[in-house]
Amino acid sequence: MAKDITIFTTNTCSYCVMVKRFLDMKGKTYQVVNLDDNPERQAEALELSGALTVPITVVTKQDDSKEVVVGYNLAKLAPAVA
Amino acid sequence: MELDNTRHELVIIGAGPAALSAAIYTSREDIQTLLFEKGAIGGLAAVTDRVDNYPGFAEGVAGLELSDAMQKQAERFGSKIELGEVLSLKKDGNLISLDTTSGKLQAKAVLVATGSEYRKIGVPGEMEYYARGVHYCATCDGAFYRDKRLVVVGGGNSAVQEGMFLTRFASHIDMLVRSELKASDVLIKELEKHKDKITVHLGVTTDEIVGQDNKVTKVIGTDTKSGKKVEFQTDGVFVFVGLDPNTKFLDGSGVELDERRLIKSDTRLMTNVPGVFVAGDVRSGATLQIASAAGEGATAALMIREYLEHHEKMSTATVATLYGD
Repeated sequence: MAKDITIFTTNTCSYCVMVKRFLDMKGKTYQVVNLDDNPERQAEALELSGALTVPITVVTKQDDSKEVVVGYNLAKLAPAVA
Repeated sequence: MELDNTRHELVIIGAGPAALSAAIYTSREDIQTLLFEKGAIGGLAAVTDRVDNYPGFAEGVAGLELSDAMQKQAERFGSKIELGEVLSLKKDGNLISLDTTSGKLQAKAVLVATGSEYRKIGVPGEMEYYARGVHYCATCDGAFYRDKRLVVVGGGNSAVQEGMFLTRFASHIDMLVRSELKASDVLIKELEKHKDKITVHLGVTTDEIVGQDNKVTKVIGTDTKSGKKVEFQTDGVFVFVGLDPNTKFLDGSGVELDERRLIKSDTRLMTNVPGVFVAGDVRSGATLQIASAAGEGATAALMIREYLEHHEKMSTATVATLYGD
């Protein structure tokens, strides 16, 4: 079970909308970091994921370990937030 | 949603414009309709910055906004969208069996509207720097290149349109076009307005994407007229060199594909497998437009309705005779 879910997004990213819809559908709460509004956090997103892309979903587990899902990847996202 | 062993009237594979258009028609006529989408609802249209040639929008419309509207319209009539993937399908008597990430199910009819995905160039460095300097979605990843130099590879509608979108962020864009620009005249005229930021290089191939310290630094190409190597310093590369159909899941299904792996169909938009229909970009002969995909979706829906009427009234043997099993 996830302790925290944070999604890094941008204003124009359709796949970010899809991740949010998926989490809404699963009844999960999450925080959004919009990199258009917070460009200073791009480095954090890159460091967490190793990728210059959005969406990046960071799932913090109960033991504080983190699972990072790059892109709209249901095969990885679904078990990560289960 | 747990779908194991459930039976459906119609399963639509995909949720792009063709799929959603078909779903609007079928669910409005009380045909129970379930759509499967493994990517973005709205397909490639949803990740397109702006759609200027879809009827009914005098000032154009954002791709995501158009997709949202289509989705809501389909859902209003009762269509259900499952976020998951169809892994395979096969004819099973008078039904079609599907293996999906949500379980196994059966359908009386299936519409394949899986569209296409952006093609890779297949050059050294492309996979190495995938999502770390090499990208295929301008609306997703353009924001990472504020005041940076970019290379856009391709000369078709997508390359020109997405290249112009990227001028919102990039300081300069080199557009590498293997032969000539193949975008529409309207887009080429629009591109002219961005010549302060976009330099178009015609007759230049993309041979290698080179990086250093985990970052893309340059693209090496060839000037096809002189045969000489050319280099472009860049911080990132966006690739729009065409589309590959999403038909891998049909391997072993018996559904006939053409040499480009697009799905063959008859005038009813039915494949060689009775009950399996096709519409949109994944169909052999499609014109790759959102408006035509929506039109094909509507046509397929009407043909599916007719097929289902026969399915209800007649035996397996009769359907097979009528529809050629």
